[in-house]
Formats: sequence, structure tokens, C-alpha cells
Amino acid sequence: MELRKTSIHQAVEAVQQGEITAFELIEKTLKNCSVLDEGLNIFNSIAGIDALEQAKAIDQKNEKGGNLPLAGIPVAVKDDLCYGVLPTSLGSAAFNEFMSPVTAAAVERLMDAGAVVIGKTNLDDMGQGSTTLSSPGGPTVNPWQAERTAGSAGAAAVATGICMFALESDSGGAQRQGASHCGVVGLRPTTGRVSRYGLNTHCSSFARVGITAFSCENIAGVLDILSGFDERDAATAVCREGITEISKIPNSDKLTIGYPVNAFDFLEPELREVFEKARDEFAERGYKIAEIDLGLLREGLQAYYVIALIEASSNHARFDGIRFGKTGESEILEEMYQHSRAEILGKEARRRSIFGTYLLSKGNYDQYYRQALKVWKMVRQEFKKAFDQCDLLMLPAAKKLPRLLNEEYSFLDEYFEDLFCAPVSLSGMPALTVPAGQVNQLPVGMQLVGPPFSEKTLLALGSWDTGTGPLSQE
Amino acid sequence: MNLGQGTCPRVPRVLAMKRVVGHESWDKGPVPVSQVSKDERKVIMKYEVVIGLEVHVELLTKCKLFCSCPNRFVSEPNLNTCPVCLGFPGTMPQLSREALNQALKASLALNCEVALYSYFDRKNYFYPDMPKGYQISQYYIPLGSRGHLEIDDDQGKLKKIGVGRVHMEEDAGKLIHETTGGIAIDSSMVDYNRAGVPLIEIVSEPDLRSSGEAKRYLEKLKSMMQYAGVSDCKMEEGSLRCDANVSLRMPEDEAYGVKTELKNMNSFRAVERSLDHEIKRQAELLDQGEKVITQTLRWDEDKQQTIVMRSKLEADDYRCFADPELVPIELTAQEVENARQNLPEMADERARRFVKDYGLPGYDAGVLTSSRCLADYFESCLQLFNKPKEVSNWVMGEFSARLNNAGLEADQASFTPEDMAELLKMIDKQEISGKIAKEVLEKAFQSGKKPRRVVEEEGLLQISDQSELEAIVDRVISENPDTVENYRGGKSKALGHLVGQVMKETRGKANPQLVNELLVKKIDG
Repeated sequence: MELRKTSIHQAVEAVQQGEITAFELIEKTLKNCSVLDEGLNIFNSIAGIDALEQAKAIDQKNEKGGNLPLAGIPVAVKDDLCYGVLPTSLGSAAFNEFMSPVTAAAVERLMDAGAVVIGKTNLDDMGQGSTTLSSPGGPTVNPWQAERTAGSAGAAAVATGICMFALESDSGGAQRQGASHCGVVGLRPTTGRVSRYGLNTHCSSFARVGITAFSCENIAGVLDILSGFDERDAATAVCREGITEISKIPNSDKLTIGYPVNAFDFLEPELREVFEKARDEFAERGYKIAEIDLGLLREGLQAYYVIALIEASSNHARFDGIRFGKTGESEILEEMYQHSRAEILGKEARRRSIFGTYLLSKGNYDQYYRQALKVWKMVRQEFKKAFDQCDLLMLPAAKKLPRLLNEEYSFLDEYFEDLFCAPVSLSGMPALTVPAGQVNQLPVGMQLVGPPFSEKTLLALGSWDTGTGPLSQE
Repeated sequence: MNLGQGTCPRVPRVLAMKRVVGHESWDKGPVPVSQVSKDERKVIMKYEVVIGLEVHVELLTKCKLFCSCPNRFVSEPNLNTCPVCLGFPGTMPQLSREALNQALKASLALNCEVALYSYFDRKNYFYPDMPKGYQISQYYIPLGSRGHLEIDDDQGKLKKIGVGRVHMEEDAGKLIHETTGGIAIDSSMVDYNRAGVPLIEIVSEPDLRSSGEAKRYLEKLKSMMQYAGVSDCKMEEGSLRCDANVSLRMPEDEAYGVKTELKNMNSFRAVERSLDHEIKRQAELLDQGEKVITQTLRWDEDKQQTIVMRSKLEADDYRCFADPELVPIELTAQEVENARQNLPEMADERARRFVKDYGLPGYDAGVLTSSRCLADYFESCLQLFNKPKEVSNWVMGEFSARLNNAGLEADQASFTPEDMAELLKMIDKQEISGKIAKEVLEKAFQSGKKPRRVVEEEGLLQISDQSELEAIVDRVISENPDTVENYRGGKSKALGHLVGQVMKETRGKANPQLVNELLVKKIDG
């Protein structure tokens, strides 16, 4: 069974009907994993025996007729999601051996459904970035072109066919850009859809647990399991129940796709062409295209960073060296703090903590934070207004092709790449990255954004296009 | 993970003052208080004293504010902890509805306006006892605001003291600076048992005008919180903590003077004394034409003086912002109204009921209801021995005196309402006299023995055996012929002397009424 060509549904059926055991499936996955990881640097840790033990247990349950909806399905989990069985590095060298006493709610749900965690995927310094370039263990290499970054290790794990889906996190666009760079599908769900308990985040306001997979169908099945209320994440109170299967492809004459003209002006011509083609393809298939105005992308990006930096300075304050991570040597408390934090936080994480502290300091609150909160509200309203004129929006996911590993760049350049993703994070609305085309043999993804809890429609439209349509010419 | 339950992580020795102090300075007996001379009083009297109090009260709840760890004291360090209250990566706070309800009750009891929409903020600063590097508190919108309570001012007139705000927050852990044997160590240890315990901070307006008013405000506040069932408010155990801001100004001034902040007062008496000390210090400074500077001072109970902790030029920058991991607190007007209707009976109400239902004098009712524990104790006794005035006399008198001496609340005494009822029944049945009963109470209170056992062991049962008493009466009559003559001569007081002699002979155990009867019969007979 080749995982890339099999849907989760088919694989689970095969396991349940005894065509293949969960043990065999996981064994094969792990072999694949060690071979492919060598050159790509996807995993921080690989499960090995633990995964095989879990698979065995699933096979036993299966024999007793347990209908586990993800029986034996291998999943890669980003290393900022706590998992009690493997180390949770959080993107810090000081946490390489950290065994979290917590397992993230989303991971728990997957395991209960029979999924098997095969490894923890690489991430930026304390999860801060959309390239993996600041990872203490070095960047993850793009499976399409070895001299470029994958953007997200989870997307690379899916693109290489190591696992059928990856559990990701996304604040300013790491997951969505990774999916774009690796040519796979990534869903950032609506605020409150999936519990974030157990996700170590630098930015609580915008961090979401997302799913990356090879097809929308696979995402839908997993989203069904992850959705719903969890008392440990107060925001999930809005989502008391999960969703059911994705509906049929929406009738083209009933769906209007919003095309924010000004957004595409930020792109290089060859990238822009991909989206214009996609738009025309939609129109040819009978969808109405409405040109709309999203004038606040740049301001949205700025507001996102003000808030994200401020929250990072506070969220990362717990890394004081006393309870976890590494404890700095010193007889003086302040020095102990300094040494501990220097070991735990990398250059980018330290930069963000310092910026965040500055932005929130006395005298700056009104000038930066209060303004950012205002812009946040305005962006929300702008997206809401956009959905008066259309059902879905199309936007680029990344501003550029994936970065070259040896490219010189400034941190501001990197922040600017979140231009199309960060404002969507501010809106709180769900976004799905699907492959839209290629430039220079590299995949380019498109974000489909919908109103809150419109995942069904997003996945339906996405699956139609990625399966057969010209939007996914590999 | 380098943190196991029952063990403490070590940090470099923290030299700053322990922010909260436990039992160590509770009442070490009388301490010399700096006497305020007449001249000094004159100096102080020139100024108007302005005091505002910030009181932290630990809420009575089953769980901590944001996790399900039990909210109760344990001596073993780091036992009541979990990944959430230890601030482990990935954990998120989850607001306890019970704590919110308690804070709501407190706000309503203090006549506050309740915010239907409020939220939690983060107060960011590093300290080893604070696991997350920030404290979750309500900074921008408190749950309760613009409340008040009433106290007697120094002239005995009723005075309203404004309560500016009541807000919820989480407590920090504790730093330990010595081993269990009391040996100083070169590092500090952190115990997070208390981290995340729910607190409310109650901030008064600067309406208090003397240390006496401040003390009465605290007493009233404590009584109200106890009545509302919000907190046990035991200052010596840290479930009520008080900081004071104090400044002086000329009576005609509108603007407030420069204030100093007092910390580390561990009893109501310490609050009063430290304020007196600080008022005197400020008055002397001003009188010599010097300036008061903004300072934080800590009260040293042993030395009975204040020590400068730090002089701050500007306020700390806590970089407060809304906690993005918690959803706002939204209440409906109906929920608030329901909570108001369900508030337990408060002191004044209970006092009125005591007068009406038990026929107690207003004074008794006031004293008994001054503390909820004492009032509860009184009513428990009454269940077992239904003579309100007698119970009241004993609870207000002997029992309260013992409590005060021992520094205990009524519910902490080993002398239970059952013991009190037993004692009173023995008096009622004339098994012991009132005088002996006082002795029995004292002994039972100290030893924890049952009153009847004390009476039996000490042989204190009243002598009501006529034949036994007759012999003693006869002896007293024969030994005091002069007094007997005086009595026969019409001096009725002389009889009292003879009764006293009999009581002396019996070490107080004779039934006085019977002795009286016997004497009269023998002499007149």
C-alpha cells in the first residue's frame, strides 16, 4: 500500500478487514521514515518501539471488533505539541530531552481514535517563524528541491509520503506556507474548533492546531475527530460538536469566490500568473468571481507582529530555568535567569522577547498595543464585510517561493512573508491551503478563506480542485 | 523534569523580603510599644492622617483558581501542584466557577457594582515563586468596584469607607530560606503549593483617618468575608494579608501628601502599631521641615519598628495586558441578582435576630456576632442548652477571654459547644458553683479534657450533702462567736462573712444556697 495514493478511509478499511495489520503499516512507515529523514531533517524524534507497541495494541482492539476511525494511521506531530511518550523540544536545544507531563488534547484525541504518532517534526526557534531556518537543529529541506527550505516539517512529512497526515500548529502562517511550499493541503481551522491544550505557543491569540494531509478528504476525516469542546481550552466553548463528512461539491452557480485584486499586487509576476489562472479556471467552471477590496493586509501584518511579539515576551517568561529546560549556573538570581534564558531561547526567540517587552513597556502600550488591537478589530470587520459579497476568498499563502537554505535575509524580510497569512489569523476565520500550480518546478499554494465554521465548504471546493483539476498539476 | 512532588527546586538565595510571612511572629506576648508623649501627640495632631488599605483574601474553594489542585494547606512542599499551576509548556488556565462565585459574593457583600463584563490580565515580572513569569490578575476591569462598608469613626459615629475595587487573582508560591531544622542554607527553595490559590484583592479608598479606623475597617472586612463564607480570613495563617498606604497632610489641604507603603503586618494589632509608628515618623519629619519620600517599608514585629525595603522613584512596570488564554468573564444581570438574593445572613442582620429571637440585649448580640465563628459557636451551644442569656454571658465572658489569650478563633478552640453546654448544665443542676465553673473552663480549655472529667479528677463537685455541710457550719459558728453576735444584733452582712468561711473550708465546693439556709437555721433556730 502506498500511503500517498491511499486515502485514510481506505487505509483504515484495509486495517479493519485484516488486509494489512496496523503493526505492518507502522513498521513500513518507520522504515520509510528513517530513510527519508536522513537528507531532509524532518523529525526531531522518531517513535520506534513505542509506535510499534501502540500498533500492536490497535491490532488487538481491532480483532475484538473495535471500530477505531483512524486505526493504525501514522501521524507526524509538530514538536510544539506536547506528547508524553517522546521528548517535546518546543524548538529549543535545552528541551531536546524534555519529557512533558502533558499530552496535547489534539494528540490524545488522535490516539484514542487509533492513530499512531511516528515522530515529532522540526520547527523554528521556539516555534517562531515560517521557514524552520531558525530551528536549533537546522532547517527542514524541501522534498521538491533540496537547496530550499520546506517551510514546515509536517508538510514535508506528508509530501514525502512518510505519513498520511501531520498535526501542525499555525499562528502567522507556518503551516499554510509549509503546505504551499510542499504542495500539500493544510487546514487552519476556525478559532475554537480544535482544543489547543498542550500546544506550547508563543502567541496564544492566534495559534491554532491544524491538519496537513495529501487530500481534503483526509483532512475532513481527521477534523471530525479533533473538533469539539474541551474544558481545558476555554475558546472551544463555541464548538460543542464536531462536523460530519464533507458534503458534495457545492453547486458552482451558488458559490461566489472573492478575488481581492490588491492582494495580488504584492506578488512577483510569475506567481501572480498562477493565481490569475486559478481565478479564470474557477470562472470557467461556473463560479461567480467577485472582485473585493482587502485594504488592510499590510496593517494587519504589522498588528499581528505587535501582538505576537508582546505575547511571546509573556508566554516565554515561564522559561526561567527553575522547573524545566536548563538551569543556568550562578549564585545570583538575575544572572541565573540570564544564563538559563540564553540556553533555552535561541536568537530569534530572544529577539522577539526583547521586542515584545519593549512594545508593552510603559509609554508604548497606547502607541503600539492599543493600536494593534484596533487594527485587529478592523481586520476582523473587513473580512466579515468581504463575506457579504462572496462565500469564499482566494489569497496567496506565501509571498515568495520557498527560501534557499543559504540565502541571506533579514528577520524583517521573513516577517513580511506572512503578509497573506497573518491577517487571516487576525480574522479568526478558517483557511485551507491547496496546491494552485507551479513555478520553476516548485509548488505554489492558494489559501481559501471562509467565514467561521465554513470548513465543510472549503474542503469540498479544495478536494474538487486538488484531485483532478488543473490547479494541481504536479 | 527536575521537579517532583514533595521536593523543592532550588534557586540562588533570594535576598528580598519574603513577601508573605507565616506563623513566626504571631503574638509573642506583650512587647514594649514606643510611647507617644503629649508633645509628640501635639505634633501628630497638627496633621490629617490619610490611610488606604490593600487587603488580599484567600478564597475558600475546593480547587485552585485555574486548575483542579486542592486549595488547602499541606506542609509537604509541592504536593498540591500539577502541570497547570507549575506553568508547564502547553498548559492553559481554566477558570474555576466556584472561585468566581466566591469573588462575586465578596463584591456584593461589600456593596460593589459588579462588572457584567470583565477579564483577566497578566501582570508580568520575574520572581522564582511565580511559575509562569506573570501573575494572572484583573487589572483593567475589576469584578467589583465602587463599594463601601461602614465602621465607627474615632468619635463613635458611623462612617462609610469606600471600597474602590475587588478583583480576582492567583496567589504565588513560597520561598523557603532554611531547612526544616531551621538551618540557613545558601540557596532558596521554592514551594509551589500555594501557587494558583484564588485570592481577591480589596482596595479601600483613602478614607481612613487613623490607625484605629484602619483596625476597625479590617475587623469589619474580616467579619463580612467570614459571614459571606468567602474566606476564613486568618491573618496569622496568611489567608488575610494587608498592606497599608499612609500619608499626612494639613487639614486644610486638598492634595494628598507623599505616601509610604507598609508591608508585612501579621496581625490586626501589628497593623495598628505599624501605622502609629509610621504616622509618628512622618509627622516628625514634616515638623522638622523635611520631606517624606515614597518608600516601601516593612514592619518588624520583633523590633516593633519599620525597616526600609526600597525607595522607588517610579512605579513598577508590570506590562499588564489581557490574558489571551482565558475568555472574558460575562455575567448576566440576573445571575448577579440571584447571587445577591442568596447572600448569607450578615453580622448586623444576625444581631437583630439574636435580639428578637433570643431576647438578648443589643450589646450581647453585637459582641457575639462580631465574628461569624463566635456567633456560630453561640448558636451551637444554644442547641444543647437553651438559656440564651446564660450562654451569652459565658461565651462573651470567660470563653472569649480564653480565646483572646490563646490567639484563637472560636472554631479552633478544643473547648467545643458540647463542652460549654455540659459545663452550663452542671451549674444549672447545682453540681458546681459559678466560681468553680470558671476554674473548670480554664482547665478544660487548656487541657482539652471534658469539663465533667476535670470536675471529677479535681474533686470539684459541689457539696450538697446536708450532713457533711452541717458539721462544717457548726464548726464555723463555734469558731466565730463575735460575728454570730453581730448577725443576731441585726447586721445582716455578718452572715455573708460566715458563708465565706464555710466556702473557704470547702475550697469553694459547698452549695452556697444550702450553706445560707443552714446558717440561718442554726443561728436563728
